[in-house]
Amino acid sequence: MQDQLESLILEAEQEIKKCSAPNDILNVKAKFLGKKSVLNGLYGRMRELSKEERPAFGELLNGARVKIESFLESRSEAIKQESWKKDSSGFDNSLPGVSLSRGGLHPLSIIRRQIDEVFMSMGFEIAEAGEIEDEFHNFDALNTPKDHPSRNLADTFYLEGGKLLRTQTSTVQIRVMENYKPPIRIISPGRCYRNDKPDPSHSPVFTQVEALVVDKGISMIDLKDTLQSFARIMFGSNVKSRIRPHFFPFTEPSAEMDISCVACGGQGCRVCKQSGWLEMGGAGMVDPAVFDTLGIDSEIYTGFAFGLGVERIAMLKYNIPDMRILFENDLRMLRQFRGEM
Amino acid sequence: MKIALSWLKQYLDIDCGVEELSRLLTFAGIEVEGIEEIPALGKTAVVGHIVSAERVPKTDHLWLCMVDIGDVPYAEKDENNQVQVICGAPNCRAGMNAMLALPGTNLKDFQIKKAKIRGIESHGMLCSEKEVGISDNHSGIIQVCPFIDVGTQADELFSLPDTTFELEITPDRSDLLGYLGIARDLSAKLLLKSKEPVIPALSKPEGSLKIELTNLEPELCPRYTLRVIEGVKIFPSPHWLQTALLKSGLRPINSVVDITNYVMLETGHPLHAFDYDKLVAKEDGQSHPDIIVRRAEPKEEFLALDGKKYILDGDELLIADGKSASALAGVMGGLHTSITFDTVNIALESAVFEPGSVRKTSYKHKLSTDSSYRFERHLSGEYAASISDRAASLILEIAGGKLCGEILDSHPIKESALVLGVRPARFELLIGYKMDESRIRDILERLEFNYVGKGMFEHGNRHGLEIQPTQNEREMALYFQIPGFRKDVTREVDILEELSRLDGYDKVPEPEISEQIMDRHAYKINNAASDWMVAHGAFETLNYSFVDPSRMKDLGFEEEPEFIRLINPQSANQSVMRVSLIPQLLSNLAYNLNHSERDIRLFELGRIYLQEGDTHREPKRLAAVFTGKDGESHFAKKAETIDYFWVKGCFEGYLAQLRLDYSASEAKLPYLTQGESFVYHMDGVELGYFGRILPPVLEAWDIDAQMLKQEVWVLELNMDNIAKISRNRNRIYEEIPRYPSVQRDLSILVPLEVSYAKIKDSILNTDRALVQSVSPFDEYRSDQIPQGFRSLSLHIVLQDQEKTLTDERIDMLMVSVQKTLKEELNVSMR
Ligand SMILES: [Zn+2]
Repeated sequence: MQDQLESLILEAEQEIKKCSAPNDILNVKAKFLGKKSVLNGLYGRMRELSKEERPAFGELLNGARVKIESFLESRSEAIKQESWKKDSSGFDNSLPGVSLSRGGLHPLSIIRRQIDEVFMSMGFEIAEAGEIEDEFHNFDALNTPKDHPSRNLADTFYLEGGKLLRTQTSTVQIRVMENYKPPIRIISPGRCYRNDKPDPSHSPVFTQVEALVVDKGISMIDLKDTLQSFARIMFGSNVKSRIRPHFFPFTEPSAEMDISCVACGGQGCRVCKQSGWLEMGGAGMVDPAVFDTLGIDSEIYTGFAFGLGVERIAMLKYNIPDMRILFENDLRMLRQFRGEM
Repeated sequence: MKIALSWLKQYLDIDCGVEELSRLLTFAGIEVEGIEEIPALGKTAVVGHIVSAERVPKTDHLWLCMVDIGDVPYAEKDENNQVQVICGAPNCRAGMNAMLALPGTNLKDFQIKKAKIRGIESHGMLCSEKEVGISDNHSGIIQVCPFIDVGTQADELFSLPDTTFELEITPDRSDLLGYLGIARDLSAKLLLKSKEPVIPALSKPEGSLKIELTNLEPELCPRYTLRVIEGVKIFPSPHWLQTALLKSGLRPINSVVDITNYVMLETGHPLHAFDYDKLVAKEDGQSHPDIIVRRAEPKEEFLALDGKKYILDGDELLIADGKSASALAGVMGGLHTSITFDTVNIALESAVFEPGSVRKTSYKHKLSTDSSYRFERHLSGEYAASISDRAASLILEIAGGKLCGEILDSHPIKESALVLGVRPARFELLIGYKMDESRIRDILERLEFNYVGKGMFEHGNRHGLEIQPTQNEREMALYFQIPGFRKDVTREVDILEELSRLDGYDKVPEPEISEQIMDRHAYKINNAASDWMVAHGAFETLNYSFVDPSRMKDLGFEEEPEFIRLINPQSANQSVMRVSLIPQLLSNLAYNLNHSERDIRLFELGRIYLQEGDTHREPKRLAAVFTGKDGESHFAKKAETIDYFWVKGCFEGYLAQLRLDYSASEAKLPYLTQGESFVYHMDGVELGYFGRILPPVLEAWDIDAQMLKQEVWVLELNMDNIAKISRNRNRIYEEIPRYPSVQRDLSILVPLEVSYAKIKDSILNTDRALVQSVSPFDEYRSDQIPQGFRSLSLHIVLQDQEKTLTDERIDMLMVSVQKTLKEELNVSMR
């Protein structure tokens, strides 16, 4: 009896091993455990046995049944596992994937957005105004002397009808101070124009971001603080900034701002002309004369302003050697900035 | 904590309205969570004497009462000054005094009228506490004290009208857990004088009873006072006392218990009274009982006032007599030693317990009481004896009796005095305005912070240390001794908070609000439009603002527009400000085609410069040019060729995600092909256009259209108009349909001249509520299809917001769709 059962189990085990699909499992199960199976038939013979013999016999049959069931189950599980794996024969998984073809922003726009974000996170608002301006807003209100050379045709583009193309976005500051009362915290990004021939470091059309803060108790500490925060966020936490005396008609005191060279870290290199510092733009405390022209009480309010060149920042950050590259709109350049944020 | 205005007024002369008081409390930092007005009941709600009470026949709960109302005028009282009243209260009985609301009385929720109950006239109602408005209890009528005169008005008896406030006390302010604390804070807020209750000097102890006090746990019980009063008479409390407790949310029990509760509500400091005669001695034969402050034994049993037996684990602090536990310290008294109407001699406890221990015991045994709530919040032990005096004097006054000996006082851990400095200069620095010294002193002294002197500021407790003089205003500090009940004040900054809070945060100067300068919406719209183009594979270009004026003619315009001209251009082809972004984009396209690019998508977002009479505008535009495939070539999946449907999808998709309801019409621009170019408007405002560039125009940019064999598409968006029209379009969430939608497909034969748009409209119009969407999934023309027709296949999605659609309903709808299509558009099924 025991032998018969053992050979039955062996036979079942071998057939189960051969199963390769869920259906095979069902068939084998029916064959060995179903109504017409040998095992089931043996259960029927229980009746022929005496009461004393029955328990031992039953135990034998059950043991066989459990064994076959466990074979079925583990094989069934194995089949399931295999079905999840992809048949990889003849599949060349080194071929490229399909890529969604995204475009990209112009590097100047990328830098502009970065600057916007830095200043907006510091509570600045973004103000815009026209690029076509009059002499008052571009020069007079900014305290520029009547005979200042920047007013020349060789420096400024003039338009028929007496207007001109603004030479800096400080004009926006004037317009904001004309229309809004302090406190004011703005940046004014936008296009400016100067009659420079295009060359590696000049362009008749360029982009500037100017910042202006007017409030009670604003001092040069605030200017330094803002510049430092800006430099660190844009160029990294190791970057240092400094201001040194300079002259601008609309700020007093005026300053030129530098950041430590992003190429050499301040050691001195070709980019920074061995100085370790890079010029970032002009800055200073708003001249009381500017406030007076605009009807802001310069005894109550103080403020600072500074201007940054977006092209220069982009060229520094991305190591672009020639400003003209930025206006060629060559896809081979533009593609390099896909995904840059 | 619930407080009644009438009670609060005993300590503070406030005569402001309820709303004003609520505002004052809130801005003193005590949040008012609820206000309940208890109205006056008027002259018709009076004490009556129930002369007789008989069962109304055939009822088991109604009483027919004759109530004597004495001199109270009432037209229908009989010659004996009695009125007949039906009452359903279980405690109604002859001989008692009760509160009768005669017809005409306005109770809180309804007016009393003469009524017939079971055919018997009833002249008014005998009132429960709930009906009078002083509590929620409605289980029986109020038993008025027999010594109160018949005819006394309810308003007098219950201090009506009144208002109760439900206050939220922050956990750090244990000093606000009593009326006196609230009054103290308000007095500082209002700069009013608060009135402490006057405690008459206690009479000489004449009683003879003794008790022995042993404090074995000084850490857990820093102070324990105990006194014995003999010969008290325990009765229900007088009405003023009961009413006071009821309005603050406590149930009256009996005079002594009520007084301990009253003093707790008054001072914030819980008290407990034991029945002296139930306390036993440690040693048999000892002449007096013991009170022992000790920890519980493991498994020690305690039968509490709530009638439950608690098995203690040995950590709990107990107040025990010589043999067993008499109270869970600070949490609940024991049943066995509680004050009953049979009590004659009492032992009065006034103590403080370590907050952590009380919290642990309360948490462990899930027992939270008014007492544990207060002890958990750290009370000062300094006042235990004076509070005991207050309770004792009330007991002697109300319950009678004699004091026995001096108060027993175990005070193992004394609280050290705290003296802190506060700098007016620091107040200005932190809070933002100046507060002068006299104001600082005024506020703090009303909070019982005792002024010590002024001088050089030093951090930390300066108690007992000399104050150094200073001339420096920034260093100058006022020094105050902090009262023991203010456990929350430990540093200068805590005092600054007190000053600012009580002076009012409205005193902090309002900042100058800067005006909104930035147009944030336009800023985001512009960035998002660029991002849309980037997502559609386009690269951004930036071109100079000045251009070659002849390029407009190259675009096919017959006349040059009115340009803004430069006086000093660098060259003739940069001599005018641009009026369109398209010419430069075509130049960018040509440039890149010349550099072997084939699949090109470019856009620019920038200004154009328009002369308009004497003035000019600089509107922002986004223009894009597309040609070739919409993706990189891949060996397995082909990229799509950019065509009419691609560009239309890009353009309309942009407008659709802004939820703009645009309409399209043929674009009549000289550089665009006809039939494929459309301009979009909304509310009469142009949003933009898209279309295909005419091959001859490409030739003008030296692009050989024949060689290129690609369509060149452009679109332009009028960003300023889009920003304007999309402003303030707030999205409102729509409920997600609760019933499933059903999709049916339809294949139809369409006459060539009938557009898909017409078919779609016709289907949607069949039943706007049911048809959610129509979308084409196949278009097909061939010889198999009759001349002059094409085949269209559509998905139609149906949905009912109210219920699941049945097959019958769907079939009916589809039949009518087919019918309409046939009749209106000569469209038949395939
Ligand atoms: Zn360098």
